[in-house]
Amino acid sequence: MAPPLIALIVATIAISLYNPSFLSAANLGRVASISAIPVLLAVGATFVIIMGSIDLSVQGVIALSAAITAMVLRVDDGALGSVLALGAAVVTGIATGAVSGLLHTLLRIPSFMVTLGMWFVSAGLATLLLGGGTIAVRSADLRVLILQRVFGLPLSVWLVLAIVAFAALMQARSRFGRYVVAIGGNEEIAKLSGLPIRRTRAAVFAIAGGFYGLAAALSVAQLGQGNVDIGDGRLFTTITAVVLGGTSLTGGRGGVLNSVLGVLLVTVLGNGMILMGVPPYLQQAVLGVLIILAVASSTARIREGVYK
Amino acid sequence: MTATFPSRGQVLSAAPTVFLILLTAIIVLASPGFFSGSTILVILADSVVLFTLAAGLSFVILLGSIDLSVPAVASLGGVIVAMLIPSIGLAAYPAAILAGAGAGLFSGLVHVLLRVPSFIATLATGGIVSGMALWLSSSRTVTIAGEYRHVLDPVIGDSFGIPRIILIGAVVCLIGVYIQRYTKFGRAIRAIGAGESAVRASGIHVGRQKLIAFTIAGAFAACGGALLAARMTSGNPAGAEQLLLPAIAAVLVGGTAITGGTGGVGRTVVGTLIVIVMRIGMTFMGVDVFAQQILFGSVLICAIALTLDRDLLQIVK
Repeated sequence: MAPPLIALIVATIAISLYNPSFLSAANLGRVASISAIPVLLAVGATFVIIMGSIDLSVQGVIALSAAITAMVLRVDDGALGSVLALGAAVVTGIATGAVSGLLHTLLRIPSFMVTLGMWFVSAGLATLLLGGGTIAVRSADLRVLILQRVFGLPLSVWLVLAIVAFAALMQARSRFGRYVVAIGGNEEIAKLSGLPIRRTRAAVFAIAGGFYGLAAALSVAQLGQGNVDIGDGRLFTTITAVVLGGTSLTGGRGGVLNSVLGVLLVTVLGNGMILMGVPPYLQQAVLGVLIILAVASSTARIREGVYK
Repeated sequence: MTATFPSRGQVLSAAPTVFLILLTAIIVLASPGFFSGSTILVILADSVVLFTLAAGLSFVILLGSIDLSVPAVASLGGVIVAMLIPSIGLAAYPAAILAGAGAGLFSGLVHVLLRVPSFIATLATGGIVSGMALWLSSSRTVTIAGEYRHVLDPVIGDSFGIPRIILIGAVVCLIGVYIQRYTKFGRAIRAIGAGESAVRASGIHVGRQKLIAFTIAGAFAACGGALLAARMTSGNPAGAEQLLLPAIAAVLVGGTAITGGTGGVGRTVVGTLIVIVMRIGMTFMGVDVFAQQILFGSVLICAIALTLDRDLLQIVK
């Protein structure tokens, strides 16, 4: 976990030298708030990537879960409706992820193609449900998560912290977490050792979907609306964060905490670039270069014969 | 007498064409007005941009790799054409194609030299390229002013009663089919897709062939973007975003396997027509525009499930 941590510290020092207000409590609080949703997405994707697979359906699942959240809130935007909406978002995400996982394992289709297909299936469903429009949810109790602050940080940040702690434990300490790493490290050996490969693979995609669903509900709370474009650009930043955090795309190495560092690095760089007056559209280009550097530096040592 | 049952391979290679004919038949039965001369011309004209992107992508998919930067490169091509037409006129088209080839070469270099898997290399290149497109255009759609519309005429005009863009599409198709079927490079990439280690062992410079494939994909993508900009009379820095899935679908539905090694540009013609006929047919039959994306995703998954050669994959990741 050292390289991303060092990069984060260096970036923080460099940016605060340029603009001391970066380290102000208000700005750090802003960094934490901005990171909450990307952290959920990156943690979900981490499980998939540790396994050596990839999930490109992030934005589609967000769109569909956000549509469902907004629709539940339209019926009841009180406390009960908000809890139901949160649950419905997570269940939608799990269900979408489970479909990807089952298609991937039962039909033996590479994950990146299945999830590419599911991206558009779920985005299409979301567009269908919303009729191409936007549902405003400005008054819903769900927004408490964003608006209510505890110890200076929004409730959503605390919620995400708790979930990340749980996910980190599950990934590093539970039997399931070890299975995932083992499959990513060497699936052949994992299979010969009698690990339930298919079940674990399908479950990982479902769990990742659950994380995206929760992230979608938080996005709806944050923006005060549900629409199909709500997840735009999330796939790129999610994969950037996971990769920058040091989780290897070939599987078997990395972890949830790596991805948290990766998200912080992406957010700090983004925030720093804004403070330094870099135009927003160049940020994506900078992240693109960073992805290449991170992946190149981590795969250069793995001399596989064939890579596609 | 030998058995007359067609093999699995023969069934699969005929399947896209049969599917296209069935699809057309269903639509004609449902709405008889569909199959008129003018509709066919509209279908062909609408296919050209998508086909150009998909034809370039075919080379990369034949390798068994993928190019996710296609929409970004196409958008960049459109922006470049729209920006350069006032100053250099017709030369804007080759300039855009050159820029696209450069972007493709960059993806290829990252993939080959840095050994980064193609989907992540092209995802990153896509990010860089769309950043460039937004930067060049200051995040705005660049409109091609009325006095320069004559420069667009080679693309949007008619010759002999046929929209010229269809003729351009035919030329693109011929170039693509020629490169893929009759050049050393074209044979090499099919071989690489079928079994890279064997090709390497037989002394072919695998990395160089891959570089060429990504460069061609980039050039074709920018060409498609330039045609799109000419049709729209403007270059939108995010204008081709929606074309990634249809382009991949066109290649795969046509019968080029995602694992590489089988298929080609000719197949992509059929695949593109399937995608376009589905889209226009559904609109004709009154299927909700929003439902079409769901159908695309599903068709894509089905096509892959059917064409995938699972012997090539010991472990499915």
